[in-house]
Amino acid sequence: MSDDTNDPQPDGGTASKPTSEEPPEFEEHPLEWDEPENNNKAPDERKSVSQPAEKFDDRKLVTGQAKYTADYEERFPDLAHAAVVRSEVPHGRVTAVDTTEAEALDGVYAVLTPWSDAVPDAKYTSAGQSYPEPSPWDMNVLNKHVRYIGDPIAAVAAEDASTAAAAADAIEVEYEEYDHVVDPEEAFDGDAPQLFADDEVENKIVGHDYSRNRMSNIEGEIGDVEAALEREDVHVHETEWETIRQSHAQIEKHTSLAYTDEDDRKVLITSTQVPNHTRRQLAHLFDIPIRDIRVKKPRVGGGFGGKQAMVVEPIPLALSLAADRPVMYEASRDEEFYAMRSRHPMKVRARTAVTDDGTIEAIDLYALSNTGAYGSHGMTVAGNVGSKPMPLYSKVPNARFEADIIHTNTPQTGAMRGYGAPQGTLALEGHLDEVARDLDFDPIEFRRQHYMEVGDLDEIAGMMGGEGAERRIRSCGLDECIERGKEAIGWDDLEQPPEPHRHRGIGMALSAQGTGVAGDELGAAQIMMNEDGSFHLQVGGVDIGTGADTAFIQIAAEVLGCDEDDIIVKSSDTDNTPFDYGAYASSTTYISGMAVKKAAEDAKERILEWASRMLDEPAENLETRDGEVYSEESGEAVTLEDVGYESVYGHDDREHILGKGTHSTEESPPPFAAQFVDVTVDEQTGEFEVNQLVVAVDCGVAINPGMAEGQVEGANHMSFEMAVSEGITVDEQGRAEVSDFDEYGLPSATETPPIESLLVETHEPTGPFGAKSVAEVPTNTVPPALSNAIREAVGVRINEMPVTAEKIKAALDQK
Amino acid sequence: MEIELTINDESTTVAVESDDDLATVLRRNGYTGVKCGCDSGVCGASKVFVDGEVKMACGVDAQNVDDSEIETIEALGTQDDLHPIQEAFVDHFAVQCGFCIPGMIIEAKSLLANNPDPTEAEVRQAIDDNLCRCTGYQKSVDAILDAADRMHGDRSVAADGGSRIDSCRPGDAARDGDSDE
Ligand code: FES
Ligand code: FES
Repeated sequence: MSDDTNDPQPDGGTASKPTSEEPPEFEEHPLEWDEPENNNKAPDERKSVSQPAEKFDDRKLVTGQAKYTADYEERFPDLAHAAVVRSEVPHGRVTAVDTTEAEALDGVYAVLTPWSDAVPDAKYTSAGQSYPEPSPWDMNVLNKHVRYIGDPIAAVAAEDASTAAAAADAIEVEYEEYDHVVDPEEAFDGDAPQLFADDEVENKIVGHDYSRNRMSNIEGEIGDVEAALEREDVHVHETEWETIRQSHAQIEKHTSLAYTDEDDRKVLITSTQVPNHTRRQLAHLFDIPIRDIRVKKPRVGGGFGGKQAMVVEPIPLALSLAADRPVMYEASRDEEFYAMRSRHPMKVRARTAVTDDGTIEAIDLYALSNTGAYGSHGMTVAGNVGSKPMPLYSKVPNARFEADIIHTNTPQTGAMRGYGAPQGTLALEGHLDEVARDLDFDPIEFRRQHYMEVGDLDEIAGMMGGEGAERRIRSCGLDECIERGKEAIGWDDLEQPPEPHRHRGIGMALSAQGTGVAGDELGAAQIMMNEDGSFHLQVGGVDIGTGADTAFIQIAAEVLGCDEDDIIVKSSDTDNTPFDYGAYASSTTYISGMAVKKAAEDAKERILEWASRMLDEPAENLETRDGEVYSEESGEAVTLEDVGYESVYGHDDREHILGKGTHSTEESPPPFAAQFVDVTVDEQTGEFEVNQLVVAVDCGVAINPGMAEGQVEGANHMSFEMAVSEGITVDEQGRAEVSDFDEYGLPSATETPPIESLLVETHEPTGPFGAKSVAEVPTNTVPPALSNAIREAVGVRINEMPVTAEKIKAALDQK
Repeated sequence: MEIELTINDESTTVAVESDDDLATVLRRNGYTGVKCGCDSGVCGASKVFVDGEVKMACGVDAQNVDDSEIETIEALGTQDDLHPIQEAFVDHFAVQCGFCIPGMIIEAKSLLANNPDPTEAEVRQAIDDNLCRCTGYQKSVDAILDAADRMHGDRSVAADGGSRIDSCRPGDAARDGDSDE
């Protein structure tokens, strides 16, 4: 049962790690991909894939029957609830914690401080990443050295939530206060207070310089950018861009329930995107063998990267050990804004060298990222500021990117949908638009001269190190995205409003993302056949509301030739499902989905083997379809049910049909998007109205077009929010000034313009049935497209998000 | 103390602490379709009918609703026999993580009871305080408009949405484009 012989899939590992039999170096990234025939089906041959199959959990979700973490409460009659005491000073050392009053309260089961035995001392990172983590180990579960208003100091478990809150309130904390700094430029420059002593961090990251509060510095270059900028025949342009501290604002708060089961194993039911990473990190923190921890993900009410981190899990686990009973911790909405995670606010500078005929000779991006009090995801997010958008212009010969990632005494940042690409896309797409206008080129044609095409070798993606990231473009629908987007928004026949002081304009922006982390992902799946011809699919891949489980079912059903209803999916329970890196980096359909495809093919081979015996025909003549195995030659058929019964109850021979598949790859093909924003601006007041968003996305083959469109629209809504709302603002103490949704300004149904999503189908030969990713690329595009639209409408440029009437008015006044 | 409630047509007596809100009481009694996303009566996830009126249950003091009639999402369709609004949400892929959906469906039911044929703007207005982070609202709005048709229009209502639908095939546009070539 070796994958190598049974599995027609390419192993994907040939791209940058050639083995001795591999062809010589110049073919490292061959355009021709050795794709199995069944991976590239014409649309009319697809039975499950690219059909709008019903989302498998939808009936549970719309009837209120689906179980999220908090809904497990009713299964634990002795459940305790947790509350956390958090730092009220931006920077300092906890000198004493008085818990006497809290402990004396009726119904309090456990009170923990940094000095308690049940609280691990170890340093860790909350980032849910591969191992070893590319993030510094700079945090403790409960902290003595506190670095922002919100750092956890003590925790309580009590019989109900209000008792827990009362006990937390009764805890007195004394601090020795230190100076603090909230502005990243100040923190980086000069004599700012230092957040970390060198010995307070393990697993330090490249370019760290804690004396200047720098967690990391990264850079990469191809060609010679400085030389190109100094050439006499070029125009050099420089612009600067700024983005907000955006909240994930997932409607289900971070929630986690911990208990010890009857086999003495530590179980976490938790709202996470990364069950396997969480298990590994908890094992490290608590010094418990990995095998003795079980992490189980129920339905998750949204993650968007905020749950690609072990944000709350250690606290209920420590409390449950101390209180000897199950403990649930549900963050409050207030805590979501000040103590969970957010998008890294950044300043990005863009420079280009462009010749008279519009040839871009060099692009240079520099990002200053505010990672807040801790470093989780800081380096990798900053890397993506360059490595996601810049490759769009793969024909540009000289490119450079650098980032400094700086600590401040402000709330923690982390992974968020788009993962650095939104910040970089604003800078690059806003900058290029401005350059085109300045030099009097059509902004679209200017882009077209330089952007990616099928066949291009994309070296820019590889410039940040990791040779594996260099890639060949094998699918690209940019032209079609632009053409269909233009048509849908009415690019060519825009009507101006009747009032002379109101002006309408359309702006556009392009975007590219990746699909998974090249060379650093793994998905695994197994599938077992039941005797009635149905299947159990066990997959590590993590559905956090995206519909991934449904996509897995569709992929398996396409291979097995059965109805989607005949596949039961069990996902993301570390005791019962195979390994997976988790739901991030747009990898789920591509990586975990390919593992599912391989598992289904493995099972199918056994099914054909059994059917061949039953029909007395060679397996090569057989194919599965509509729940049957049939022979083209003889027209004979057996049902999958017959095969199921025969295989386990057969007279002579018996076998439980099991298929397995694991997938990892050096490939990370980019999906593409073209965004169009239609805006009307009042030049007297600066007030603006976004009339419509149109976004066209090339995600390869959409496994489920309805779900894919939903992903595109949701991502675009999030991108719209990044362009128009303030995000989490902080005061001079670094205190989050937002405590509920009203203050945060998540755009509501009336505040959101109509969003039209267009799926442009291409075929990505390295993906399951031609699929690439879809969920992140439309998160990147509204800020630049809106800035460009306003420039088009009234001739002023807004470089700093959010776009507001005041900023437009001020720019108009200066004109 | 104890209060009398009629929850989804069943009368019951429930225990209530002095600081309990209605969402907590309902969830404690097994009506976990009532979701809590904000603690402050602004996200809409906890919407239920209280004596026929839509309320955010997290903002209702439980002691004040003694003797009331409550209707939660559990009173609408079942998984095998969805309410037309639920069916429309499923068919339009208007559900992603689903956390906001029970509250939104409750609000949609109230809207369609009072205004059987709403415009898109009226639908958006109705769900203006049902925050959803996943969808961008486009498909939820489409679903509610379609539900209006299903409930009051010329379209017959299937008891079961079925596992496949043909009314929404966004992939077709791309494929049609291909075959034109
Ligand atoms: S939890 Fe009740 S409205 Fe948000
Ligand atoms: S579907 Fe997730 S919040 Fe609405």
